[in-house]
This record gives sequence, C-alpha cells and structure tokens, in this order.
Amino acid sequence: MNQPVPAVGPPARALTDPTVCLVGMPNSGKTTLMNALTGGHFHTANYPGVTVTLLRGRSKPEHGVPFNLIDLPGVHSAVAPSPEEELACSVIEGRHREVKPDAFILVVDATQLERHLKFASLVGRQGRPVVIALTMMDLLGRTRQSVDPARLASALAVPVIPVDPRTGRGVQELLTALEQRRGALNGGGTLAEIPADPVAAYERVGDLLRCGNCMTRATEVDAVTARLDNFVLHRYLGLPIFLIVLVSLFAAIFWCAQPFMDLIDAGFGAAGDRVKGMAPDSILLRFLAEGVIGGVGAVAVFFPQIMILFFLMTLLEDSGYLARGAALVDRPLAAMGLHGRSFVPMLSGFACAIPAVFAARAIPARRERLLTIWILPLMSCSARLPVYALLLAALLPARAAWQAGFSLAAIYIASLLIASLVAGLTARFLMSSRPPSLLAMELPAYRVPRWRTILKVTWARSSAYLARAGLPIMVVSAVLWLLANFGHAEKTIVAPAPMESSFAAGLGRALQPALEPMGVDWRVGVGLISAFAAREVFVSSMAIVFHVDSDDEGTQRQGLLAQLRGATFPGTARLIFTPASILGLIVFFFFSLQCFSTVAVVRRELNSWPLAGLQLLFYTGLGYALAVASVQTLRALGVA
Amino acid sequence: MADPAVRDNPAPQPLSAVVFNRGFRIERIAGPEQDRGRLLDLGFTPGEEISVTRAAPFGDPLIVRLRGALLALRKREAAWIWVA
Repeated sequence: MNQPVPAVGPPARALTDPTVCLVGMPNSGKTTLMNALTGGHFHTANYPGVTVTLLRGRSKPEHGVPFNLIDLPGVHSAVAPSPEEELACSVIEGRHREVKPDAFILVVDATQLERHLKFASLVGRQGRPVVIALTMMDLLGRTRQSVDPARLASALAVPVIPVDPRTGRGVQELLTALEQRRGALNGGGTLAEIPADPVAAYERVGDLLRCGNCMTRATEVDAVTARLDNFVLHRYLGLPIFLIVLVSLFAAIFWCAQPFMDLIDAGFGAAGDRVKGMAPDSILLRFLAEGVIGGVGAVAVFFPQIMILFFLMTLLEDSGYLARGAALVDRPLAAMGLHGRSFVPMLSGFACAIPAVFAARAIPARRERLLTIWILPLMSCSARLPVYALLLAALLPARAAWQAGFSLAAIYIASLLIASLVAGLTARFLMSSRPPSLLAMELPAYRVPRWRTILKVTWARSSAYLARAGLPIMVVSAVLWLLANFGHAEKTIVAPAPMESSFAAGLGRALQPALEPMGVDWRVGVGLISAFAAREVFVSSMAIVFHVDSDDEGTQRQGLLAQLRGATFPGTARLIFTPASILGLIVFFFFSLQCFSTVAVVRRELNSWPLAGLQLLFYTGLGYALAVASVQTLRALGVA
Repeated sequence: MADPAVRDNPAPQPLSAVVFNRGFRIERIAGPEQDRGRLLDLGFTPGEEISVTRAAPFGDPLIVRLRGALLALRKREAAWIWVA
C-alpha cells in the first residue's frame, strides 16, 4: 500500500528536472500563477498517507527552462496546522517522503507584505533557493499603497519578480531568475535570518521593510471591498443575500445539470442496448452492458452536477465571497460544534457525499473537519431523489402531486435539521474533551474572477472525483450484477439464474427475519442490498425483482408503481407496500449510509478504517432501528 | 503612531468589548497555548494596531482589520486579545 502513486503525464526524462514548489499563504494567487507557469497543463496528484490532493505540472516549454512544478496547499500558520497545512509544512521543511523540492517559488501578496513575509521566513530558513513572485500589485492602488520590488529584492537578498498571472507578465522573468538562482549558496537571503518566534519575526520583518524603504503603508481602506462588505455582511441584508446565493447554487446544481444528466443517462442506456443487441443470449455481453456499462453510467450521470458544483464553489472562492459566507453562518454552525467553512461540504452533500467529503478539506481545523465528515451522510444527496420520488408516488395518490413536492421539501429540511442535531450531540458528548478550534479566517479582497484558472481547477477537481469515486462504484455495481444474475441450481452455479434463485435473492432471504419488522419481504431486501452500489439503483433493482419489463422509462415507472401497489407477501393476500412500510423505507433511506463509495472515500480522507466502518454501522443501524420503530409505532396506532 | 484614538484608551480591555471602527493597540494575547501561538503567528502581536470594523449578522464573528488584512474572529477568540 505504500507504493507511491506515479504522477501521470510527465515523461521519464522529467524526473531529472528540478522540482520547484509553489508556496504561500491562502489567497496569495498561487493557483493562478501555477496556471500561467504551466500553460494550464496541470493535474491533481495524490500521495499515500495524506488526504491532500496536490496540483502538479511542468513549466511551459516556450519558457525554455524545464521545471517540475508542484502547487502546495496554502498555509496560514505552521502552528496547530490543518492536514493541508501540515502537508505543505512537511514538504517545505524537507520531511516529506516523496516530494523533495529543489527550489521554491514564494508567492507573496503585495498588499499583505508583513504577514506573507513572516510566513516566507519559514521557507527562507531551509537553505534552498527561493524566488519571490509578488502578486496582487494591481490591488495596491485601491489602498494607496506602494511597494518597490527592486528595493524589496535588495533588502531580502532574494529575487523579487512582480507577476500578473492573468496577463502572463513576469512569468518568464520569474523562471529565468529561478534558473539563475539555482546553486546559490544562501538561497533564502535575509529571510533566513528572521527568527522563528512570531513576535520577534514580525519585528524583524518590519525592520527589513523600513530600513530598505521598500513600501509605504496603506493610507485608506480598500473601498471596493468595504462597499461590497456593506451589503454582503450587512446586519439585515447579509443573510438574505447568502440565501439567494444558496438557492441559485441549488437551482444550478439541480436544474442546469438535468438536461446533461438525461443525455448521459440516455447515452449509456443506448450503449448498453447496442452491446446487448450484438448477441442477446450472451451472458458476457449482458454483464458488459448492464454490470459494467451500467456501472460506469451510474457514476457518469452525476458528473454534470459535480462539475457545476465545483465550478460555482471555485468561482465563489476566487471572487472572495466564500469566506464571507463562512463568516456569516459561523455562529449557528459553531453552536453545533462545526466551523463556518462547514457550510461548503454540507451544501455539496445535497448533490453527493463524495465531493462533499473532499470539500471538507477546506476546513482548517481537525476536530471540525472530522465532525463535518461525520454528519455528511445525512445530507439528502441526489441519489436519494429517485428513491424518494418512487416511494412518495407509491405512498400518495397521483392526483395530489403537490403533496409529494411538499413531502420532498420536508425531507430536505429535515435532513439539514437532523444533521445539525447529530453534530450538536456528537460534539457535546463524544468530542467534549477537545475544545473548539480557532476560526481566525482571512476575508480576502474582492476580485474579478479569473475564469481560465477557475475552469482549469474545476476540471482538475472533477476528474479527480471521477478517478477516485468511479472505481468503487463500478466494482460494487459489477459485483451486485453478478449476485443478481448468478445463482445455485442443482448444486451448480448457473447463469442467467431467475431472480428467485439468484445469490442476491439468497442474501435477501437470509435477511428476511430482519426485514420482517420493517414490514417488507426479501424482494425489497434485494433492492436495499443493491442500493449500496448507489442509492438510486434501488429503483432499477425493484423493477427487476418485481418483474417490470419495459425499456421506456415512463411506462416502466407506471408499471413498477402498479406492481408495487399490488405486491403481496408470497402465499398471502397481505400487501407489502402499505403506508407504514413505505414510510419505514423512507426513514431507512433518510438515515442509512447506503453507499460503499462514500465509505471508501471517508476511509481514505480520514486514513482510518475504524472511523469509516463506525460511520457505516452507526447510520445504517440507526436507519434500521428508526425504520422498525416507525413501522411498529404506525401499526400500533392502527396505520397498516 | 500619530492616531489620537490609540492614546485615549489607557485601560486594557478585550477586543470583544471595544467600539467599532476605532484603532487600538494590542497589549497582550491570552488564551490556550496553541490558539495563542497561532494568533501570534497570524500577526496578532503586541504593539500592533487593530480595529473592529463590524460584526457578522448574528453578532459573531467580528470582522477585524490587522496589518492591512480583514479577518473574521469569533468573540471567544477576540476576548483573548487585550487592547488599549
């Protein structure tokens, strides 16, 4: 398991080229610079043992100097670091096992020289060549500040190159300076002399800047930022604006993604039919069509949602709004033991728990990040939507469509409230020994979004999602297909086996005693098991176990509903799908962590099987217990 | 430096209790060891000028200005920062 994950892309000769790490504080413009240096050709890379994804790339060939570039996560402070900060610090200090930098590009925000140079001293002390890329020069005018890069360079005794990654200005000079700097004896210049103690360090940075006459301090506040903050953080307007942003995000994730999702769904359906059509009797082709292509389709169908989600989140982050949103909701979230930034993963959780777990990395505090990941399975993800739609249609008469819509809205709101409750209880009773972490979060100046970088980052993050989540979903889907289509008959394994004698049915029957209290039979059990591939698979496997054969989705759904309404326990006239048992199923899907991909991703993010397993057992057990409790209570009250 | 508002406030008080939009000078940082270390590292060092520009709509966190940056700081954290 300790094999390094090979970086995809760079050819073998690249291994001999020097490795240069981009380091800096968050919001310093590192990723935009990375985009400019590599010409947009970067990809995400994972390293074993850490949960952080790094951006890797090569310097553009036309710049002449070949470098391997790595964009490290931004570091606020090396004191009590988050996992992302800890990774960056371990690379900087040369403690990382695989990433060994030969030189550093230090990205420094010109409007925040003191704080950024204090951080720079950590890099300067390492003895490796350092070149400073000075960003945000265009923002200096907003606060009537000035910074003299030449004087700064002589005061620090390292090259200081003003860059504007958006226009590419300074990028060539930066690489040239870096090439010349290699082999320099005192690579860190006077940065290396800045003491480690923060108070002394800030004093020294102040002295260096003053003696070198490098800058004038801001004489006024950033009027653009102040004016926008007057609305965004306004006492009465702030929350409505935040709600509008949230609702727009939701609308984009669900409505704008829908046509693309339908298209992908139809495409994979057609591809599957095509493969099956080549030889209708071949079990292998059916496996390919239904198990493999269908499995890929189950992942791919969420891709539009994920991309839109990542795009909008990156956009909000880049423009400076995301940090404000986090500050706005910090109070209620902190009351539940969470962090202002928890709102991003929680929101993402309404699309899919997997990107949400990734998004939790932005929470700079360990305790709050763990708690956020812990409650994410409760957020009503979009894979539950088709399940709720089917169950609500079976529960409610067709003419009252508004009732179904209303119930669905209630389910969504309830998921948010219950997730908050679980977070609050967990923080209160299980994590009470650990005090809450610091918020102390920077609110960056508002900026016009940098579209190219946003698109590149969106693509890098989305494809990382596909690579990470795709495989588990595919494997689980293929295994479940095999279970549903292979079975025992006269002591040999046969395929295709009729549903009743398949291994899946065997599993369902084995679960019968546990399903009885939920008011359902083994056929629903098969659906529940198959839903561990992805929750929405419940719908299609119910269609299989209840023998609904129709390729057209509309009539399939009507046929399925009719079958479900008429289904009885074998050998009796007792209906399976009664209001009580349907409500029980809704409760089960509400709580249960029926998604092996989420378990796999959480395992990786927290680097802990016990925690991921505990989460699976806790929520699935809770879902089962509450489903049984509600079915039995309803029956006791006289609801069938 | 020449700001008269700084000199008018001789008695130290926690940052969580000060009036908005007025400059103060940091006297000392209290709080748990680790949080104190991180606050110092982020630039909340004694002698530095600081002001609270506003509170978020729920009244918490506070938005403070320090070394040209805007930072969101929970009242709990602001209470560790003694200013005068």
